Amino acid sequence: MSDMTTSSSGWAPNANGARRRRMDKLATLLGMVAAGILVLVLTSILWTLLSRGISGLSAAAIMKPMGPPGSGGGLANAILGSLIQTFLALLIATPLGLGCGIYLSEYGNRQNRFASCVRFVSDVLMSVPSILVGLFVYQILVAPFGHFSAFAGSVALAILAVPIIVRTTEDMLRLVPIAMREAGAALGATRWRVTLFLCLRSAKTGVLTGILLALARVSGETAPLLFTSLGNQNWSFSLNRPMASLPVTIYQYAGASYEDWVQLAWAGALLVTMGVLAINIAVRLSARRG
Amino acid sequence: MTETRPQVALAVRNLNFYYGQNHALHDISIDFPARKVTAMIGPSGCGKSTLLRIFNRMYDLYPGQRATGEVLFDGRNILETGLDLNILRARIGMVFQKPTPFPMSIYDNIAFGVRLHERLNKADMDARVQDVLTRVALWNEVRDRLNAPAAGLSGGQQQRLCIARSIATRPEVLLLDEPTSALDPISTARIEELLDELKEEFTIAIVTHNMQQAARCADQVAFFYMGRLIEVDTADRIFTNPRQQQTQDYITGRFG
Repeated sequence: MSDMTTSSSGWAPNANGARRRRMDKLATLLGMVAAGILVLVLTSILWTLLSRGISGLSAAAIMKPMGPPGSGGGLANAILGSLIQTFLALLIATPLGLGCGIYLSEYGNRQNRFASCVRFVSDVLMSVPSILVGLFVYQILVAPFGHFSAFAGSVALAILAVPIIVRTTEDMLRLVPIAMREAGAALGATRWRVTLFLCLRSAKTGVLTGILLALARVSGETAPLLFTSLGNQNWSFSLNRPMASLPVTIYQYAGASYEDWVQLAWAGALLVTMGVLAINIAVRLSARRG
Repeated sequence: MTETRPQVALAVRNLNFYYGQNHALHDISIDFPARKVTAMIGPSGCGKSTLLRIFNRMYDLYPGQRATGEVLFDGRNILETGLDLNILRARIGMVFQKPTPFPMSIYDNIAFGVRLHERLNKADMDARVQDVLTRVALWNEVRDRLNAPAAGLSGGQQQRLCIARSIATRPEVLLLDEPTSALDPISTARIEELLDELKEEFTIAIVTHNMQQAARCADQVAFFYMGRLIEVDTADRIFTNPRQQQTQDYITGRFG
C-alpha cells in the first residue's frame, strides 16, 4: 500500500509529455507568426495609404475635376464617374442575380440539368480574370459602336457582380427551412407568392449582404474599365461617352512623372479603400441586425 | 332523414401512397366524421403524417410521390389531377409540428392567408384578425403588439398563432401534425382545450405520439402500423377494449 502513496513514477514528467508540450508551443508560435505577418502587411498597406493619401485629400481634390499637371486639378469627375458606373452596374446585376439565385434555389434541384449548368457557369464566372470580362465587353459593346462608353463599363462591372449575387442569394434562400415553404403552400399560396413574400423575406438580410459584397468587389475594379469606359479628363454625364473612374485614374496617375498627379493617385486610392471599408462595415452591421 | 350537413367530412377509400418505389400506405379506408376529432396514433414512420399530407395534397410539392385510390371531400375525389390545389388548401388547413411564423408582423401573419382568398376592407380584416386570435386565446396577449414581428412570440404563442392563421381562411377541415410535440405541458394543455372548442366548427384530424392527448381530445382514434390501418374506433373503445392485439400492445407500451 505504501507503494501507492509514495509512488513517484505516476506523476513524474516523462519524455513523451515534454515533447508534446514543446510541439504545442511550437504550433502556437507558428500560428501567431503567420497571423502577425498578415496583420503587418495589411497595416503597412493601410499606413502607407493613409500617410501618403491624407495630405492629398483636400477639398480641392474632391471638389475639382481632373486637369493638366500643375493646374491644381482634383478627382471630382472620377469620383462621380465611379459612383455612376457602379450604381448602374448594381442596377443591372441585382435583378439578374436575384432572379438567377431564386431560380437555382427554388426550381433548380439536383436533378435539373439546366440548373446545374447555370450554377457551374456562374461559379466559373466568379473566378474569371476581370481583364477578360473587360475584353469581352469591348468586343460586344465598344468595337461594334466604334467608341468607348460608360455604359460598357457598367456592363463589365455588372458581369463581375452577378455571380456573387447569384451565389449568396441561392445560399441564403436554401437556409430558409422547408417548413416555411410548406406552411405557405398549406394556406393555399401559389409558389411565386411563397418564394417572394415568405422565402425572400426571410432571407432578406443575407441577400442584401450579398449585394453589398458585390458592390464592394466591383467598386475597386480597374481592368474591366480600361477597355470599356476608358477614362475621361473632363466632366462627363453621358453614358454613351467615355467616363472617368477612380480606379482607372489611380492607374493613370500613379505611373505619371508629375508630382501632383502621383499625389492625387494616393488620395484616390485612399478614397476607394475607405469606400470599400465603409461597405464592409455596413455589411457587418446589417448581418448582425438580421 | 335529410341531412343538411354531411356526417362524413373526408372519406378515404382504398388509398395507397408511394414515395418513389417505397409503398408507404397500404389500402387505407377510413371515414373522418364531420366536426369530430380523429386522432391518428402509431409508432414513427407508420404513415400517419403521410396520410395527413395527402388530404391537402402537400405531397404535390415533391416529385416522385404519388397516391392512388380515393379521398372524397365535398363530393369530389381530391386526388384528381386538375383539382385547384389553392382552393383545396383554403378549405383544408394544416398546422405543422414546428411553429412556423412568417417573417412579418403578428397581424400580417394572419392577413397573409386571408388575402390569398378574399378581399376584405381594413375594418373587416381587423375584425377577422381579432376574431381568430380571440378563438386561439391569444388576443389578450398580443393585442398591444399586433405590428410586432411574430418571431418574438414564445413557442406556444407561435403555435397558437399558426392555428389562428389556419382557421382565418375559414377551412372546413383542420389537419394537425403533432402540433404540441415541440411545446411545454402548459402550452400543450391550452392547445388541447382549444381543439375542444374548434371541433364545434371544424373537422379535425390530428397526428400525435402522445397517447394521453389522443385519449383526452379525440372522439375517434385510428391506429396505424407499418403503413396499414390496424384499427379505427371510438377513443373509449380503443383505449379500453381494442379488438386487435397489436393495438392493445401499442397503447399499453409493449412496443412502439
